[in-house]
Amino acid sequence: MDDNLSGEEEDYYYSSDQESLNGIDNDESVSIPVSSRSNTVKVITKESLLAAQREDLRRVMELLSVKEHHARTLLIHYRWDVEKLFAVLVEKGKDSLFSGAGVTLLENQSCDSSVSGSSSMMSCDICVEDVPGYQLTRMDCGHSFCNNCWTGHFTVKINEGQSKRIICMAHKCNAICDEDVVRALVSKSQPDLAEKFDRFLLESYIEDNKMVKWCPSTPHCGNAIRVEDDELCEVECSCGLQFCFSCSSQAHSPCSCVMWELWRKKCFDESETVNWITVHTKPCPKCHKPVEKNGGCNLVTCLCRQSFCWLCGEATGRDHTWARISGHSCGRFQEDKEKQMERAKRDLKRYMHYHNRYKAHIDSSKLEAKLSNNISKKVSISEKRELQLKDFSWATNGLHRLFRSRRVLSYSYPFAFYMFGDELFKDEMSSEEREIKQNLFEDQQQQLEANVEKLSKFLEEPFDQFADDKVMQIRIQVINLSVAVDTLCENMYECIENDLLGSLQLGIHNITPYRSNGIERASDFYSSQNSKEAVGQSSDCGWTSRLDQALESGKSEDTSCSSGKRARIDESYRNSQTTLLDLNLPAEAIERK
Amino acid sequence: MIDFSRIQKELQDCERNQDSSGIRVCPKSDNLTRLTGTIPGPIGTPYEGGTFQIDITMPDGYPFEPPKMQFSTKVWHPNISSQSGAICLDILKDQWSPALTLKTALVSIQALLSAPEPKDPQDAVVAEQYMKNYQVFVSTARYWTETFAKKSSLEEKVKRLVEMGFGDAQVRSAIESSGGDENLALEKLCSA
Repeated sequence: MDDNLSGEEEDYYYSSDQESLNGIDNDESVSIPVSSRSNTVKVITKESLLAAQREDLRRVMELLSVKEHHARTLLIHYRWDVEKLFAVLVEKGKDSLFSGAGVTLLENQSCDSSVSGSSSMMSCDICVEDVPGYQLTRMDCGHSFCNNCWTGHFTVKINEGQSKRIICMAHKCNAICDEDVVRALVSKSQPDLAEKFDRFLLESYIEDNKMVKWCPSTPHCGNAIRVEDDELCEVECSCGLQFCFSCSSQAHSPCSCVMWELWRKKCFDESETVNWITVHTKPCPKCHKPVEKNGGCNLVTCLCRQSFCWLCGEATGRDHTWARISGHSCGRFQEDKEKQMERAKRDLKRYMHYHNRYKAHIDSSKLEAKLSNNISKKVSISEKRELQLKDFSWATNGLHRLFRSRRVLSYSYPFAFYMFGDELFKDEMSSEEREIKQNLFEDQQQQLEANVEKLSKFLEEPFDQFADDKVMQIRIQVINLSVAVDTLCENMYECIENDLLGSLQLGIHNITPYRSNGIERASDFYSSQNSKEAVGQSSDCGWTSRLDQALESGKSEDTSCSSGKRARIDESYRNSQTTLLDLNLPAEAIERK
Repeated sequence: MIDFSRIQKELQDCERNQDSSGIRVCPKSDNLTRLTGTIPGPIGTPYEGGTFQIDITMPDGYPFEPPKMQFSTKVWHPNISSQSGAICLDILKDQWSPALTLKTALVSIQALLSAPEPKDPQDAVVAEQYMKNYQVFVSTARYWTETFAKKSSLEEKVKRLVEMGFGDAQVRSAIESSGGDENLALEKLCSA
């Protein structure tokens, strides 16, 4: 622990030096290291959908010198994976790339798609009518049919939901129809349908793209989220919903997606059943199956013919009256009422064990809003008092650390349920191996749990009524515990990834990497575009959005201002205090141990 | 929305080009939405000698949507349901192209009769028999052709039904009212 502390101290000094170099009063220029990983998650709204795909379209158009609709056709076919598209180009050549996607380029053809504007009558093979040449339209693949037939074809295809792949009408012709022709012909008679067609094409960028997903909010916020390099992550949409990008359900790390899916189903299926069973049944002392009493006296007979007393659950003889069972009396209080109901109940108990703990932490995190209200009240009272300490960001930061680690804790229980149960990994580990791993994990889990509870206790102290020195003490405790909890969370993730899941044969379980700052909030697509141009501000932009997230419940604290203020105050404390950890430091600074 | 003029033209075209294939299309009703296709069983297959009738229903979007076709004659074939007569053929589904016609679709069905694709079965029982016990499959298919797809003369039909124990006059009127369909006539006789 000492090593850690001194490590952080160094970072702290470093940070302050930077700030003093840049000028404390200039809040804008506070330089905060932002790793390349941050700010890669973007929100794509209805309005920015076109802009979001521009970049990919442009790259393809430039490299292959094709028109936009061809670039789109290619990208739709290759699921918006530009790298894949380029790889196919290098490996198989342009012709194969194009024909695979149904793109036909007729280089020597005029761009006028109607057949030479002639008015001579020509026959359309579809309706078998003779129509004047100007009413025929020729596609890039060379097939021409009359406009009415094309429109009929497009209408059926769009309504079938095939807008993204409308192929030519000729039999066995695989060419994709030019989207401009489709749009022009359809909009003449059915503008609504043309709009639908455009929408489908645009949304292909979301539907067919593994790096982009709809936000799973209900009612739907209309946004989609784009990630940059790793699909395995948890994100927060601008609508506030946090979700796991790879399975689109709520954020659930350190549980793997498979585990979470199983757990969700189990809870959904069983919680009601379990409740009912515990309330309405008693296990038979012989076969251990749950028995429901459907009437009669207190002598109950199980299907296995075993009789037992409904009041205490103990096996009895069959001889009885309404008032009493002969040879049996359970009116007296018994110390050990839950005797041997094992076996059948063991699985249920095991599930309940994990479920209760999971539920307890989830429930406490539901009280977050109340608690953060409480803290902000205490902070605002404290700030008005004549104290040496002016900055109370440690309290809010500690609070957010508490919330984050509570989430981690709660999801660590379903993880443990599956990791050390028989359902998923029975054949993967010997029972000794499992025991060792379980001990290792549970040690960490318990340590984390203890520290989280301590942190929670200190945050609940009425520090707004304490004297200076006592507030200082609480501050140090909260800061130390916050750092400890953060480290413990990180260690737990590492343990899961390396020691537990890493050693398994089946590679289907992956967990989202730990993020000290909590779930990454997606930044708006436009704002990040702008910040790319203004390089100097880009890091600020990223950091601010992350800080916003840290202060997700919308605390009144002005982030850019507080960093300047913090620098001054901490400056004065640096001399008097020996070990000081600053939670306002970005995670990266703390991580650079 | 159905392009009736095209259907009309297709029918005329079929009439005009009565070729050796023996494939015919005739309307069932006046409004051209329900038609009957007829294909002879391909030579050299267990279906040889049979005449197969196919119910055709035109969808609203024809010719941009594929016509709905199913066998009304019972047939033993891996890609045709032995129960319902439903046909598993790509051009009747996603591979349909408006450039295809009823005639070309029926030609494709005829080709399907000569070249079954048991790996993409419609009728799993038939397909399994085809793969595992080809000889039994051939004799079953041939038996079904004999029983259900062979046109027999009126007198033969009458004779068979009379042998089942129905009266001669009764049988004749039943066959007449069911358009010469022996099976339908039998059903009528039984339910009467």
